[in-house]
Amino acid sequence: MNGPVIHDAYTLPVDDNVNPYAFSVELDGQWFLQKGKMVAYYGQIGFQGIGLGRLDRLVAGSFHSPLHAAEWVVAEGKGKMVLADRAFDVNSYDLDDGNLTIRSGNLLAYQPSLALKQSIVPGFLTLIGTGKFVAASNGPVVFMEPPIRVDPQALVGWADCPTPNHHYDHEYLRGVMGGIRAHTGLGGTSGEEHQFEFVGAGTVLLQSTEDLMEEIAVGATGGTGS
Amino acid sequence: MLAVDLTGDSVKAKNGAMVAYEGDMTFKKRTGGGEGLRGMVTRRLTGEQMEVMEVKGHGTCYFADRASEINLVSLHGEKLYVEAGNLLCTDAALRTGTSFTGLRGSAQGNGLFTTTVEGTGQAALVSHGAAIVLRVTPQTPLQVDPGAYVAHTGNLKQHFQSGVNFRALIGESGGEAFQIRFEGEGLVYVQPSERNTIGGEI
Repeated sequence: MNGPVIHDAYTLPVDDNVNPYAFSVELDGQWFLQKGKMVAYYGQIGFQGIGLGRLDRLVAGSFHSPLHAAEWVVAEGKGKMVLADRAFDVNSYDLDDGNLTIRSGNLLAYQPSLALKQSIVPGFLTLIGTGKFVAASNGPVVFMEPPIRVDPQALVGWADCPTPNHHYDHEYLRGVMGGIRAHTGLGGTSGEEHQFEFVGAGTVLLQSTEDLMEEIAVGATGGTGS
Repeated sequence: MLAVDLTGDSVKAKNGAMVAYEGDMTFKKRTGGGEGLRGMVTRRLTGEQMEVMEVKGHGTCYFADRASEINLVSLHGEKLYVEAGNLLCTDAALRTGTSFTGLRGSAQGNGLFTTTVEGTGQAALVSHGAAIVLRVTPQTPLQVDPGAYVAHTGNLKQHFQSGVNFRALIGESGGEAFQIRFEGEGLVYVQPSERNTIGGEI
């Protein structure tokens, strides 16, 4: 049996996957990083919380999501950094003057040439601009085209298409039984009465599970640093 | 899942890790990690307890643990440092022991002691996601998140590194406040996932 591949500071891939669950970033400058997603690094790298200070200008240009500020840090320096998240599948994506919205827990890191904004849909973040970002999904990502209705839990993100709307199966709540169901909750539900509906041109990213990444409550101040 | 072919020889494995076997096998409970009375006492004292069984017989034995990834490590006389929870099974010829880890262990929430495996043969490690093997040389020291560390071999010095500064105290921490810094010559096994650690949230 062959031994495992041994990586060192020079053979680690440059901005590419080490294996399906880990991604190596060659850092020379700055990257935005979600807290706790760095598993190892070579070289001189420092991690700075997002707040007032010398990162002010960078944050002003590339980070417009104060609700999420407690979850993000800036990695600064020179070296190679391995990113991973709960052994989920990790992939990098390139945006070329585009926009992509993604579930906040699934985004691991992005280049400061992209700007991060809060999406109108709660729990989602929008990346705008040109650059690379790294995202995780539970199981490989499947790309779909609108028109499509998707389960909210399976949705990872969407690119280039208009913001989705909610869709409810109205049929299910009609009639006598439906009335009882709607008012008392008795009678059970299939769990699939609510979907996100996408229309227009673009791409929808789905993961092959309905297991969500654990979400950090947003809106709290002070973050997890206490 | 790990398949081990046995021809009259034996392996040591974590208790309850057997999922199937073909042929004739006997399973014998070994107390305290299988290194005699002294080892048993040490393990009790250090909290680095390991429930071990000895599997002996002819045929193939299959081991698995919570659908974790299994990584094989070949040892040729060197010493492997691994957390007891990450060790699935070893060749019977390998000696296991305990050693003091200092601050690193306490930061991981794994206690102050770790398990060592020594000798010539193969050991199987479990990790959450396939482990990545990273080489450390004197020119390229490596920093690892305590929650992602699985095991290491070779002549490595570990320091506990913290990036805590006054901003951490006012809630603007860097989120990656603690790392283990490995210096020297050796290999470090890292899993693509982070355990919950005491230091991990800081």
